Amino acid sequence: MSSHRLFRFPKPAWLNSANTRTAGVYAAGALFSLGFYMLIDCAVWSKSAMNPSDPPVHITFVDWIPGICSALGMLVINSIDKSRLSADSFSYSGNGVAWKARLVLFLGFALLAGGLAGSVTVLVLKYVVREYSWPTIWMGVGNVVANGLVMTSSAVLWVAQNMEDEYTYNLAL
Amino acid sequence: MAGLKTIIALSFVLAIGFLLVILSSALFHNYLTLLVVATYVVAPLPNWICGRAANPDDFMESSGSGVIDFGRFLTGFFVVMGIALPTLLWHSSAIAGGAAAMSVVGGLLIYGTIMSFTLFFQEEQEF
Repeated sequence: MSSHRLFRFPKPAWLNSANTRTAGVYAAGALFSLGFYMLIDCAVWSKSAMNPSDPPVHITFVDWIPGICSALGMLVINSIDKSRLSADSFSYSGNGVAWKARLVLFLGFALLAGGLAGSVTVLVLKYVVREYSWPTIWMGVGNVVANGLVMTSSAVLWVAQNMEDEYTYNLAL
Repeated sequence: MAGLKTIIALSFVLAIGFLLVILSSALFHNYLTLLVVATYVVAPLPNWICGRAANPDDFMESSGSGVIDFGRFLTGFFVVMGIALPTLLWHSSAIAGGAAAMSVVGGLLIYGTIMSFTLFFQEEQEF
């Protein structure tokens, strides 16, 4: 396996251990929780007494759409069985499983990226353009940070699940 | 190693944790911080349920590890939720800062107790 390496530096050994994988999954859950509660924080703060905006600015459904898109994208991406992505090179897969997997995966990544882009759009169009000051603009900034955290969580979970393949491969041989 | 002293120490820490959380709600006459206890009681459940649902002896079957991963993901979610929830309530001035800090520390003590309890006493059952 090591003779097929492309890069000069080998992958560090700890990256393939089962413990790193477990830690990665836990970290992904923690990051998603942070993002989710940052979103909830924006909504709760918007209705609380701490919101100082004089013509009152509140979270509306528009602010929720990017978060919903990101969460859906994360769900789609991590529902895919990663080993199906290279399935066409083996004989057991007919009917273009890899092609379907790539299509669904593309939809997932599009949802995820669309969520992040959408949160930036909401921040700019709803808060920056109308020149709100700091405590009010938190509702937009928190939205962007939350979507970024969901994206990071998704990436961590993806890497952790790819580790699993190598791990089971080593076990099977 | 897991003897009577461990049980006494763990129950002591658990009592301190509950004391902190209950004080944080009773001192400020605001019982929202009790949510932290509920969170940390729920937190070990996903791992337990998903551990039963999956067959750990199957190395070739990848569907079993997906269930376990989902349980771990939920556990990480709940643990951070126990810290994020008081911070959120404090940020919206629904609870005072002192109450938030006390409930976070108390919740972590409770969760640490539950975790170390299962760590100490699980292995005897399995083997």
